[in-house]
Amino acid sequence: MISLLALIGVYTLAARLLSRPDILPPTEEIGRAFGALLGRGVQLGGGGEGGEHAHHQHHSASQQMDTLLQEGVTLQGALAITTGRVLFGLGVGLPLGILLGLLMGASRRADDYLHPIYTVARSVPPLAFITYIMLWLGHSEAHRLIPIVYAVAVTMVIPTYHGARDVAGKYVEAARALGARGPLLLFQILLPAAGPAMLGGLRYALAIAWMTAVGAEMLMAENGMGNLLVGGGMWSSRFQTRSDPAVIIVGILALAAVGWAMDAGAKVLGARLTRWARR
Amino acid sequence: MTAGAPPPVLEAVDVGYGYSGPTPVQALDGLSLEVKDGEFVALLGPVGSGKTTLLRIFAGFLRPARGRVRCSGASVDGPGWQRGYVLQEEAVFPWMTVRGNLEFGLLAKGMGPDERRKVSDELLELIGLTAFADAHPKELSTGMSKMVEVARVLATDPSILLLDEPFGALDAHTRQRMQDALARLWAQRRKTVLFVTHDAEEALYLADRVVVLSPRPGRVKARFTVDLPRPRSFESRFSPEFLALKRQVWEATGLDAG
Amino acid sequence: MMTWTKARRAVIALVALTAVYVLAAEIGHGRLPERLWLGAHYVDNVKLLPTWRQLTEEGAFLIESNILVDSVVVSTRRVTLGLLLGSVAGILLGLLTGAASRLEALADPWVAFFRFTPALALLPLFVVWFGYGESSKILLIAANVAVVTFLGAHQGVRGVSRVYLDAAASLGAEGWLRFRKVVLPAAFPSIFSSLRVAAGLAWVTIVVAELVNAQMPSLGYLLALSGAYPRTPTMMIALATIGALVLVFDLLALLLYAWGTRWMERAA
Repeated sequence: MISLLALIGVYTLAARLLSRPDILPPTEEIGRAFGALLGRGVQLGGGGEGGEHAHHQHHSASQQMDTLLQEGVTLQGALAITTGRVLFGLGVGLPLGILLGLLMGASRRADDYLHPIYTVARSVPPLAFITYIMLWLGHSEAHRLIPIVYAVAVTMVIPTYHGARDVAGKYVEAARALGARGPLLLFQILLPAAGPAMLGGLRYALAIAWMTAVGAEMLMAENGMGNLLVGGGMWSSRFQTRSDPAVIIVGILALAAVGWAMDAGAKVLGARLTRWARR
Repeated sequence: MTAGAPPPVLEAVDVGYGYSGPTPVQALDGLSLEVKDGEFVALLGPVGSGKTTLLRIFAGFLRPARGRVRCSGASVDGPGWQRGYVLQEEAVFPWMTVRGNLEFGLLAKGMGPDERRKVSDELLELIGLTAFADAHPKELSTGMSKMVEVARVLATDPSILLLDEPFGALDAHTRQRMQDALARLWAQRRKTVLFVTHDAEEALYLADRVVVLSPRPGRVKARFTVDLPRPRSFESRFSPEFLALKRQVWEATGLDAG
Repeated sequence: MMTWTKARRAVIALVALTAVYVLAAEIGHGRLPERLWLGAHYVDNVKLLPTWRQLTEEGAFLIESNILVDSVVVSTRRVTLGLLLGSVAGILLGLLTGAASRLEALADPWVAFFRFTPALALLPLFVVWFGYGESSKILLIAANVAVVTFLGAHQGVRGVSRVYLDAAASLGAEGWLRFRKVVLPAAFPSIFSSLRVAAGLAWVTIVVAELVNAQMPSLGYLLALSGAYPRTPTMMIALATIGALVLVFDLLALLLYAWGTRWMERAA
């Protein structure tokens, strides 16, 4: 906690020393941007924001902020949208990845056939596909969600695979030698044994989901955090607006906060589910 | 085999098995072995003599590259509860309680909860862990969890037991106790046991016959019949016959270090 | 490891995959729509599933005109520089904070911050700070790589088994010697596996960075351009090239890992 305050302190000092508000905006301004983004919602560059706008003429006022406010973008709104995409990606991608990982881990034969295909599939970053998918699906929500699902699934395969193969191997054998087969083997033996590895993979998949969602939004969406970060607005006018580092920093901090929260949640969940684990 | 006699419960004829990899290893080569019904046979040999490999072939996890393996006259198709197998590694299920572990095989067989409880109560008493019935294996020492594994495999009452160095991690007293328990059980229920160990004394204490394997590749090097009277006790270890056998076995195994 | 059966099955799987694609392309030829609405305008003559011939034709063009090679060189250079910079920084910092707990307290908030920001979210910020050129891309990669390798090195040092430390102590080794000969090698598995993750992350980062700020010549630009016009054969070739490079880097990282951990894993 103290270190957090120290971090803020160091930053404020650095910002003041550097005295380049267009690169390192002073802490107060970040605070103000935060407030503005929180919910003064739809205000066409007027009201309190207008005053701020005029006050900071010298660093070519926040076009980014204006655009965002014009569009009625709020921090929590954008965050909610991105979170929604992340959750969707997890909801669909996790089961897919787990299924594949378990299959490959449990059966040597399946592994021999599927692993090369998997290696090919995971070699291309999902976000690179996004332009290709657009040709098929146009500018639709599915077009943005598919890379997230894909990234999560691909990420989840390896930890599940290792859990099923390396960790669960001997337990599966012991269970088979006791006559266990089928669903009993899967749910009572394989899943619990691979569980710890899978939970580790989950935390990693979480990070990947966020990254892919934000990336997809930066490239191809008109809402959400990624959009906020690159200046809001329509796809066509993207990257033309002058960026406001205060807005960006607020956005990054918000993402970091949510990311940390989700990770902490996953950690707690993991600890509870694996109370039986040794040392 | 003489015609008319029942087939040996476990039979391996000219079995070969190799492991590929950076240094390929011929684990077994031309190994032939028989275990008759109700016999207690110990497989003795140093590291690398393929004892575990042979056991796993009998258990149904590996298929011999050469030769054939039969169980009660039929070929071995895969693992099953009829051939109770205890691994060398620690394989007690850590996410289940001790009782859960013991009852697992019975669960797989479809036994009802009350019946299962009766059996698990008996077994808990046998291994002296009644107090730990609802504990998780992480609270047990390595030796105790191995005992749980042995008891777990006994729950389904298989007629064949394949044990891979089960008492290796136990201290001397516990080991003695478990060896006696195993011997008692074997005498009561007349199971056919194939027991892998690298400890000559343990082999002689428990078995009817001791088969000595040579390392890399595994072949039968010597066979000993252990005629010592049963039930054996701690005292038996000091009888002249025991010591004589022990010397013979040592000579058979020792001088040929791999 | 690699046996004949395994190799055979791998070949079958990959051949099957290619066959499925070729089949789909043949079926699609002439049946798939060729006129697409791209949000602002229509485009004609789009081959959604380019056939083998189209791919090879375009591929030949790209190679002959040096476009592909140049793009590969540029993107690879950026990735390599970013990886080197980031891993050196990350590993050093990780080792330092792992070994000296006072430093750890200092670095903790920074790491926590960077760790949970989605790697790409920093891109706009870096663009503001460093402009649209080479440095922002390389530094972005370096930052992401540094976080991952920092964690790897830090965990590696922290996680050194007590057993090894005690053994070292009873042999009289301490300080720098102990670090160099006991702690560091014991941390190698964690360090090298994080490097492998970092390599993959570096490529993901550069692709997006180049897509966002597409400049000739780069693989991202190739991707973006072929998306804008669009020319699907080029797109696919670009994707395949990126994929191949990712695999190459991954293989290198894997070899590095194997080298660094060659003393581990006693054979049964």
